[in-house]
Amino acid sequence: MAMSNVSKAFGQVHALVDVSLNLYAGEVLGLLGDNGAGKSTLIKILSGNHRPDQGSFEYQGKPVTISHPAEAQALGIATVYQDLALVETRPVSHNIYLGREPRRFGLFLDRRKMERDATVMLDDLNIRLPSQKVDVELLSGGQRQAVALSRAIAMGGNILLLDEPTAALGVEQTQQVHQLITGMRKQGKAVVVITHDLSDILDITDRIAVLRQGKLWAYAPSKTITTNHIIGWITGVMPPSIHNGADQ
Amino acid sequence: MISAFKKQDNWTLIGLFITLLLMIALFSWQSEFFFTTRNFINIGQAISIRGLIAIGLTVVMITGGLDLSMAAVAAVAGMVTASLISLDVNSVVVGVAGILAAGVLGSFNALLIVKFRINPIIATLGTLLFYRGLAFVSTGGDNIVVGVNAWSNLGRGSWLGAPITVWLFLAVVVLGMFFMRFTVAGSHLYAVGGNSEACRNVGIRVDRLRGWTYVVQACLAGLAGLMLTSQSGTALPSALNGAELDIIAAVLLGGIALSGGRGGLLGTLLGLLIIGVVQNGLILLQVQIYWQSVVRGAILIIAVTLDSLRRGGGYR
Repeated sequence: MAMSNVSKAFGQVHALVDVSLNLYAGEVLGLLGDNGAGKSTLIKILSGNHRPDQGSFEYQGKPVTISHPAEAQALGIATVYQDLALVETRPVSHNIYLGREPRRFGLFLDRRKMERDATVMLDDLNIRLPSQKVDVELLSGGQRQAVALSRAIAMGGNILLLDEPTAALGVEQTQQVHQLITGMRKQGKAVVVITHDLSDILDITDRIAVLRQGKLWAYAPSKTITTNHIIGWITGVMPPSIHNGADQ
Repeated sequence: MISAFKKQDNWTLIGLFITLLLMIALFSWQSEFFFTTRNFINIGQAISIRGLIAIGLTVVMITGGLDLSMAAVAAVAGMVTASLISLDVNSVVVGVAGILAAGVLGSFNALLIVKFRINPIIATLGTLLFYRGLAFVSTGGDNIVVGVNAWSNLGRGSWLGAPITVWLFLAVVVLGMFFMRFTVAGSHLYAVGGNSEACRNVGIRVDRLRGWTYVVQACLAGLAGLMLTSQSGTALPSALNGAELDIIAAVLLGGIALSGGRGGLLGTLLGLLIIGVVQNGLILLQVQIYWQSVVRGAILIIAVTLDSLRRGGGYR
């Protein structure tokens, strides 16, 4: 998946200017930047919630448009938002398959199949929950994130956009989410992680993109840089650095 | 540990069931007339008509909504059927017309709430006044007496020893429970009450589901109005006036949360039975009628307080 020269303005505010990025299967891209740098706008464009003013997309070498959430979904782009959008009063399996429950005779819920599928899915992702019959409100923050990710994958997501997946989590739960991200990379998904959390970011990502004032400020393989580089780019202390070597 | 908490809805049901058994034991001990088939049929008869409305309301409230206009809808449906019966219209047409009229009123509720985004409490408070007013205006406040006719069987007849109203109510309860538990739409209704935004995100047609709950609720209220008219042989514009709050109380007692997403029809059935048993028992014990309301209020307050304490959450 590639996006080229994407721009978006809200009135006088240039939220994104000429941003080009590539996403590869089996790779994790870290998307960083200060508040208002354009990260959320970028995610909303990729998920079809905003239309770009300019720019184009390619999927597996073919030009595509993403002007509507349904189009993004059809391309296998799934977004996990910060507030997770889970139904807390419903069990895990209902949340994973929300809106695409297995049916019998078109009308009836195939609960057994749904629970079986959910078990397989959670096992594949190495997610351990007390029970998938438990209501989501009784799960920890990390477990909820796991449920939200499972749903994104159940929706057929091959390109997963994670908006601040560890924002509200403690140290141990953050670790769990990082393991999940690593697990999805192994499954061959393309993952974009938006985050403020710089700890471990270089370990869990393959490449880093830093946005600053709507522009792509830096783009580099994670292995070649340090946390100090990232901080320098985010704050603008370091000059822009687009490593095209990042796109091997 | 967690599985015990998970079953909190079940605990509500168990609590209600034990309460019901205690009430039955108490009244059986205090009154020789209580524990008789005849009396149980009386209780069933007493809760069936309001119960129909409570079933519809339960579904509305599970999605996080509320309908205050349902008793007024029942009254309008009663007036419509009675005026058609007086015109010697075919019984089947009368029934369909009564429920259809109620459905139209329910669609108007749905329109206000789903399309114009008016808070359901305010919208249906408005339509409560509006519909109740219509019921009075239609005859200038007079009752319509229809007496005994082909229609009376619905409200007065019985089958296998129990009144048809009771069978009809039970049928709706069972159908409703089945729908909420085993269909995808039922599952979505719970999800909408839990987090409507999440449902929209995944493409569930939240507005359509919500809208339908108001229409179905109104149709059930219409059926209740029909049965009431048939039972009494008279359609009163003031039918079920003030019953709104009692019905909401029964639903809340059954464990439905005002915020939606929780509870079920079994809870509502138990809530109705408890209120029905208490009402009946107090009459048999010849307690002054004004105590009825005091006792019902106390039961509701105790029940929701216990529930709130146990959940450790509640109103903030």
